[in-house]
Amino acid sequence: MRTLKLVVEHEARLLLADRTLWLVSGLFLLLVSYGLFNGMEQAAVKENALGKVLEAEARGEASRRALLVRILNNGAMPDPFGNPTDPSAMGGGYGSRYAYMPISPLASLAFGQSDVRPDYYKVTNRSKISFIYDTEIENPWNLLSGHFDLSFVIVYLFPLLIFALSYNFLSAEREHGTLKMLLSQSLGLPTLVAGKIAVRAIALLLWAAVVPLVALAIMRPEARSLEHVWPLASWAAFVVAYGGIWFALAVAVNAFGRSSATNALMLVGSWIVCVLVVPVLLNVAVAIVRPAPSRTELATRTRLVTSDALNRNAELLAADYQYVNDAELLRPKDGKIVVAGRMRGIYLMEKDVDRELEGLLDAFNVQLAGQQRLVTRYGALSPAIVTYEGLTALAGTGIRRHLHFQKQIDAFHRRWRDFFDPKILNGVAITEEDFDRMPRFTWTEEDPAVVQGGVVTGLLQLLLPAAGLLAIGLWRLRRYAVV
Amino acid sequence: MLEAKHLSKHFGATAALDDVNLRVDPGEIYCLLGANGAGKTTLINVFLNFLDPTEGEARINGLDVTQHAIETKRHVAYIPEQVMLYGVLSGLENLRYFAALATGRHAPRAHLLVLLSDVGLDEAAALRRVSTYSKGMRQKVGIAIAMAKRTRALLLDEPTSGLDPKAANEFSQLLRRAKDDGVAVLTTTHDLFHAKQTGTRIGIMKRGRIVADLSSEALSHTDLEALYLQHMQG
Repeated sequence: MRTLKLVVEHEARLLLADRTLWLVSGLFLLLVSYGLFNGMEQAAVKENALGKVLEAEARGEASRRALLVRILNNGAMPDPFGNPTDPSAMGGGYGSRYAYMPISPLASLAFGQSDVRPDYYKVTNRSKISFIYDTEIENPWNLLSGHFDLSFVIVYLFPLLIFALSYNFLSAEREHGTLKMLLSQSLGLPTLVAGKIAVRAIALLLWAAVVPLVALAIMRPEARSLEHVWPLASWAAFVVAYGGIWFALAVAVNAFGRSSATNALMLVGSWIVCVLVVPVLLNVAVAIVRPAPSRTELATRTRLVTSDALNRNAELLAADYQYVNDAELLRPKDGKIVVAGRMRGIYLMEKDVDRELEGLLDAFNVQLAGQQRLVTRYGALSPAIVTYEGLTALAGTGIRRHLHFQKQIDAFHRRWRDFFDPKILNGVAITEEDFDRMPRFTWTEEDPAVVQGGVVTGLLQLLLPAAGLLAIGLWRLRRYAVV
Repeated sequence: MLEAKHLSKHFGATAALDDVNLRVDPGEIYCLLGANGAGKTTLINVFLNFLDPTEGEARINGLDVTQHAIETKRHVAYIPEQVMLYGVLSGLENLRYFAALATGRHAPRAHLLVLLSDVGLDEAAALRRVSTYSKGMRQKVGIAIAMAKRTRALLLDEPTSGLDPKAANEFSQLLRRAKDDGVAVLTTTHDLFHAKQTGTRIGIMKRGRIVADLSSEALSHTDLEALYLQHMQG
């Protein structure tokens, strides 16, 4: 241990005296800060948007409730396009409620799926397809390039900075001739390697795993709560384990005793394979094994089904606008209301569309879940995939949480339609009490056991290969040619 | 103290060492002479466990170097032909690190400065970055590192290479003092004069074999030169 401490102290002094550490650390800190800043800004934008949406929903609901009371007390004339007593209007866009997924306090750490999947949906009694693909359209440029966030820095850039500090940590000693001087002392090669890697790992992991968490704790006080200790610690563990793989690779590559230039090529080659090639190939393989239904087919089917439904309900949809001229007809009488033919027609048409497309939409979800299972199973082929999945899951922006949200939206949509369906078909007017009985979306967080299980699996998928690489490195070190 | 028994090292079909038998006892300075590629440095590298022998064994203080790699290095100090150090550190800092690795603790600064002064590096030079040193100055730091280790055996691979005549002479005196203190020294050299002046025994290596093992006292400079040339030409 004493020798290891000496090596660590010496290595730290050497690195501090060299410009490389300062350059790499400065660059990395800059990237981490920028990624985190982007994440915080994006999370703030989303929180702000969600806050405004919910505020508008509450304000609108209060206004509709007040209007309903005035209409029932004959204080106001019903508006044919905004009548709170009309179940077809309230179940449709006029009285709809939002289903939303809360922004996790850790969302700043990774954008994940929040780039392409909205955090809230305006749920109506219309076809699911009418609102599910119609909310929060992102800037296409952002969708194309992705956001520059901390998970991008960790997954893509962190390994390159590890290489910058470690590609020649042993080969340079041999090339400069200092290795013979070192090993002529009572110092073993594994101790030397351990000391050199430890210093480099501490230097970079400090920036990668500790600084973002400290910054997050300062900027987002809610992240400091006890319930977030576990996800934050797990996040740091993922970063350390991911860094560990690349440091272990640097050890293994150096232990083969090739030149520094060869080491650099081998490391960058491994990075290209693990971070760029394997994820793309896995994506292609998953798309072949579990192909998602065609979006074009969905659009075409939607048009056809909508056209059929329009024809079926043509009579209702062609109803005249008598209510515009005589709104008094829309006032409830003895709890009953005349649901306008056009509104009823639209509802029935949307219901038809939903029923007809249910199978296709379910197929999308089934295939997506199947694809996700394949990625989870074979993602271990690339530490980048494992880490990205782990970091986004812990930040609350992973695909699994979004699919969990999707299920809750489906359930809420069904409850919403079930509530209004009999009222629309039987012409039952909405009462003030119905405002309290109308389904309200309540977010249920993912099962912590599932999340924790995913974290443990992910960490094992990183730590086992790292241990394997270290074992290869140690085995090769025993045969290392010092001269 | 240093012992080679039927030591062979082959690189493919080439025998760098071929059945070498050698013993250097405490208080002896064994100078190995030989042309380039004769196997002198290979022998040193085997003693340092930088190379595994193909056959035979190398022992330091009675321990096989392949089986007790770390332990045997505690008993031996090494000076290579070209002492390579950390250029971004000063001579003093280099000595401090290598001496600490050898002894397991940091020596006092004053003691290290005395060691450097003994080999001809004053304090101003000792505090300069090694990247500004000449080869001779680096060699002096290497000698100081070996001295700091205070071992019972020295392995020297052409240690005076790059030293000016005065420094080489001072180094010879250091070696003689070490011999008087009972240190066993195995040194390789091309310098016949240095070998005769410093060594107690002289070996001549050719194609991996020790072809002559002579007592320095029984030889004159001329005899040694003639003998050496005879072996090289034969």
